[in-house]
Amino acid sequence: MPIWQKFILKVLSVFFILLICGNLHIAGWCGQTNMSTSDMSWYAEPDYVVHIDPATAPDTKTTAGNQSVRFPGEGHTQGTNSQPAAVGNPNITFPGFYASRTIHDAAQFNDLWELNNMGQKGGTVDADIDAPEAWDITTGSSDNDMENAANSGASMDTTHVSGAAALDWDPFPDYTPDEMMSLLTRSVDPMNTLSGKMPSGGSQNVYKYLFVLTMILYAAGAMFALCFFKWQIAGNYISFICSAIASCCSIALSVAVLFNGAVIRLDFLIYHAIIKYNFLLDPLASFFMLAISGIGFIASVYSLGYTRLYVNKRDTRFLGFTYNLFLLSMLLVVTANNALVFMIVWETMTLVSFFLVIFEHENEANRKAGFVYIVMAHVGSGLLAVAFFIMSAYAGTFTFSFDDFRHIGAQMPGIYKNIVFFLVIAGFGIKAGIFPLHLWLPLAHPAAPSNVSMVMSGVMIKTAIYGFIRFYFEFLTPCPPWWGIVILIIGATSTILGVLYALMQHDMKTLLAYHSIENIGIILIGIGLSMIFKSYNLMALSSLAMIAGLYHVINHAVFKCLLFGCAGNIYYSTHTNNIEEFGGLIKRLQITAPLFLVGALSISTIPPLNGFMSEWLIFQSILNSFNLPSVFFKIITVICGATLALAGGLAAACFIKAFGISFLALPRSEHAKKAKEVPIVMLVSMGFLAALCVFMGLFPAKIMTTINQVNTHLLGTNIIHTITLYDWLQTRSVHTNFTELSPKSASVFGLILFAVTFGVLTLLRPGFTKKIYETWTCGISPEPRFGYTATAFTKPFKVIFSNLYRPRRESRITYAVPKYFVKSITYIGEITPIFEKYFYNPISSYVLNISNKVRWVHTGSIHVYLVYIFVTLIIAIMFYIYQE
Amino acid sequence: MVSSILLPILQIVVIVGLSPLVKGFINKMEARIQCRRGPSLFQPYYNLVKLLQKDVVVSETASWIFRATPYVTFVSILLIALLVPVLSSQVPLNFIGDIILIIYLFALGRFFLALSSLDTGSAFGGMGGSREMAISSMAEPAMMLSIFTVSLTVGSTNLSNITGTLLNYKSLNPSLLLAFAAFVIVIIAETGRIPVDNPFTHLELTMIHEGMILEFSGRYLALIEWASSMKLLLLLTILVNTFFPWGITTGFSFPGLIISFALYLVKIGFFALAIVILESSLAKVRLFRIPNLLGTSFILSLLAIISFYVVS
Repeated sequence: MPIWQKFILKVLSVFFILLICGNLHIAGWCGQTNMSTSDMSWYAEPDYVVHIDPATAPDTKTTAGNQSVRFPGEGHTQGTNSQPAAVGNPNITFPGFYASRTIHDAAQFNDLWELNNMGQKGGTVDADIDAPEAWDITTGSSDNDMENAANSGASMDTTHVSGAAALDWDPFPDYTPDEMMSLLTRSVDPMNTLSGKMPSGGSQNVYKYLFVLTMILYAAGAMFALCFFKWQIAGNYISFICSAIASCCSIALSVAVLFNGAVIRLDFLIYHAIIKYNFLLDPLASFFMLAISGIGFIASVYSLGYTRLYVNKRDTRFLGFTYNLFLLSMLLVVTANNALVFMIVWETMTLVSFFLVIFEHENEANRKAGFVYIVMAHVGSGLLAVAFFIMSAYAGTFTFSFDDFRHIGAQMPGIYKNIVFFLVIAGFGIKAGIFPLHLWLPLAHPAAPSNVSMVMSGVMIKTAIYGFIRFYFEFLTPCPPWWGIVILIIGATSTILGVLYALMQHDMKTLLAYHSIENIGIILIGIGLSMIFKSYNLMALSSLAMIAGLYHVINHAVFKCLLFGCAGNIYYSTHTNNIEEFGGLIKRLQITAPLFLVGALSISTIPPLNGFMSEWLIFQSILNSFNLPSVFFKIITVICGATLALAGGLAAACFIKAFGISFLALPRSEHAKKAKEVPIVMLVSMGFLAALCVFMGLFPAKIMTTINQVNTHLLGTNIIHTITLYDWLQTRSVHTNFTELSPKSASVFGLILFAVTFGVLTLLRPGFTKKIYETWTCGISPEPRFGYTATAFTKPFKVIFSNLYRPRRESRITYAVPKYFVKSITYIGEITPIFEKYFYNPISSYVLNISNKVRWVHTGSIHVYLVYIFVTLIIAIMFYIYQE
Repeated sequence: MVSSILLPILQIVVIVGLSPLVKGFINKMEARIQCRRGPSLFQPYYNLVKLLQKDVVVSETASWIFRATPYVTFVSILLIALLVPVLSSQVPLNFIGDIILIIYLFALGRFFLALSSLDTGSAFGGMGGSREMAISSMAEPAMMLSIFTVSLTVGSTNLSNITGTLLNYKSLNPSLLLAFAAFVIVIIAETGRIPVDNPFTHLELTMIHEGMILEFSGRYLALIEWASSMKLLLLLTILVNTFFPWGITTGFSFPGLIISFALYLVKIGFFALAIVILESSLAKVRLFRIPNLLGTSFILSLLAIISFYVVS
């Protein structure tokens, strides 16, 4: 490497290290604003920002978390139970002993304390600046936990504003309190509900800096990976640690938005920019952001171990670079608030994931996978672009802002609406991998390194689900009911075909990729139902179905990431993905095996794990379709339910195959025999996901409450009151009029029954002995060849569904002595890929034919091309003149 | 309060205690129909006692999955026994879950059983496991649809509500009849009776359920055998108390429970006899003809749903 390149790289690395250090400093402040009051005031230098002064605020209670936050002079911030009243309005008296009072709702809360309660939600505004309430985050809910807030003394806006002040004081230490006050007042986000009510007329929200920080950290992670040529291992670690930290920041940000419901807008004001770089974090976007950054965090930690496969064997700089950009681009996709920005980041996402797919490009199959992926993804992007153009024609403006697109469906003529509907199905459907647009998915996901496959399969395809929801619930509303039916049928088809094709795969990662198609189908069933209910204005049911669908989004992200991770563990130790070559891994990968089992149980919808919870909710939504007015729709939905049940059974069979054939019995190859457990970071990160699977299965109410926040914003329906939340033994955790389910109690009773069974058996015969013998194989000593293989296990399915699979097999027998002694048998079995054969191959040959015919246009001579450009220009000018 | 503690225990006792008897009854009656004397009515109990006294032989290839499976299977079935209305239409623990949870708890037991069939590295186990999964996944949609029919008729998936509502259901609903027919076929498939599977066979090429549990012995085998007879009784209980809940008590009173119990015995006995007649008069069908049978069941349940919507 030339000297100057080294020099530039060094300068760059120093620059980025400084950047990171500087920004971590900010992260410290921002992170603190998530904390409760006492933390904040302790952190924000107490000398001049936060003032605990019982003398001037005699009513201040001395419990933890109460302090008066004042700026000398006339201004003060909106505050809690103590100071603003004491300073601004001495007439207010406080109840002497308030901790034990029962406070049920916001109105009573107001009455009791005679305070304004969140200017956005009504109430008297008596402060200068509004901000997200800290206790929303600490208690998790803005409506139900008023009492907790009162008892714990957690504060409201004050903490946030004082944190903002502290932030501002960092670069401007010379500011006087008055200057700071005016700076804070000027830099608020204006809010309609507050204008004219308080001097600032807006909300001070520092969370958005977390977003900026996230972007910077991902970018830094990407750059770091490039910087280290010699010490790639160090560059690798630094870049994945950067992405892990960045993911943590965006997790904090999305949690903040989800729980306090304050929408964050972030506009990058670039001078004379053609494109307005607007980003919006509403609850829907932050829900997806939570999923992406949660999985991003786990995958980054996992990558620290997994990339040891590649370090020093090949150039890993590009891996870290694209990986970071990939995570960042997904976050930007779900937050983009402008069609042009959306298309740019959508394309970025496609491109960087393409580079990740062909990371091991020396393999011919991977290059083909990458090619199919990039072609199909671009067709999808093209369709989306057309959809945006049609919509912008009716938006009346050329800003392409999503704000102009909201509810544009009301102004669009039916025919254009339907066109956009189908464009969006195809455009996002390609990314989601719905049948029959799934072709790229089972090729590309296995081709990428496992740490990337888990992100692609876990969350990248969910960005398409995000797109569906954005379009069908915000842009194109009101939707006709048959749209929902179309989505529902597409979902059911993908579910059943996905799992049927998964059954026939004997490559672990391809199998998992087909299961992604199945699960996308399940999610679409939820979304489709929600659309149908919404178009008949059954809002509560719509909300229930949406909860089911979004629950499955996050469940699938977690268990699919877990399964891909475990598949990565197996690959790490055996260097193959072929299930037929495994066997007996449970004795060798002793920790990976139970982790994979948890994932397998989850995806097979076995209680009490998380997959069951979302499937149960989807079944409940399907059953509630009896509320629909049309008999036809009712029957269709119920048939989709039956499809879902079939898919559940087949998925269980598929994962018995995947787990049983790979982990149980005897090893069938040298690779499997020599397998060793993988590095600890990979196990810990997967263990965390397995724990999440259990947690989300046992405590569905927490997840449903979170999703309900999304629905409250998206559908304007709050069904939290029909989902009652109590402790496990008293009542149910999920309750509608229709049924009840308490996974926690089921598990507890299951454990009790197990203890009783075990206890009774032990009492009956304490000296219980086990003898260990070899398996009886008719007198021959057991060999791996006697065990069942994946091909054999799925044979009944191949026969039952032979109409779909159209299996083809070929067996060749060679004899040592003619006719009697078999020397070897070769068996080749395969299924006919009908979609490729009857759908894609005709299309691609047609396209190739056409391009052959117009080939003469490309002469290769630059002069001719110049003529083309000139002619095009003339035509464009004439067209313009004609238009004028 | 006392009843809400006693009744679940009573349910467990009835299911655990009676299930070998049902099996013994079926065996005895089949023998009688075939003009044999047959084993004692209590032979399944003797088998269980004997098995529980024996040591366990485990294959050296097997892992912890194999040792956990008997407990998982047994406990998942016990948990279902808590949720199904047996003697009273009121189930104190019905807040735990509904019929969908019950179906998936059956799936939990089956999942582990099929895994353990692969665990010892013997070909018979895998054969049984693969066939069992093929049949049960084919049975799943029919089962779900017939349950949907009942749930939609009642307006609930909660078994207590279903039994309680159908108890007072006066009109003869064709959709319920169709759902009943579909559900009977599903039960036969799920419990591995003729014509789907022959519970008495140990011929390598035909066994399904027996193939899966071939490697178990002693206590493990006892638990699995017991669980499978409980599964039969539980499915019959669901059938009886959903489609024929007549006479079941709605409260916890002692005389009411006695009458319910007597009626329950009669009804279960009737359906056990029906199984006996069915098994004696039919031959086991070929493995790949089973999907046709289950397809019939699916069509029946689909018709049930359609007729429900069209009639109502």
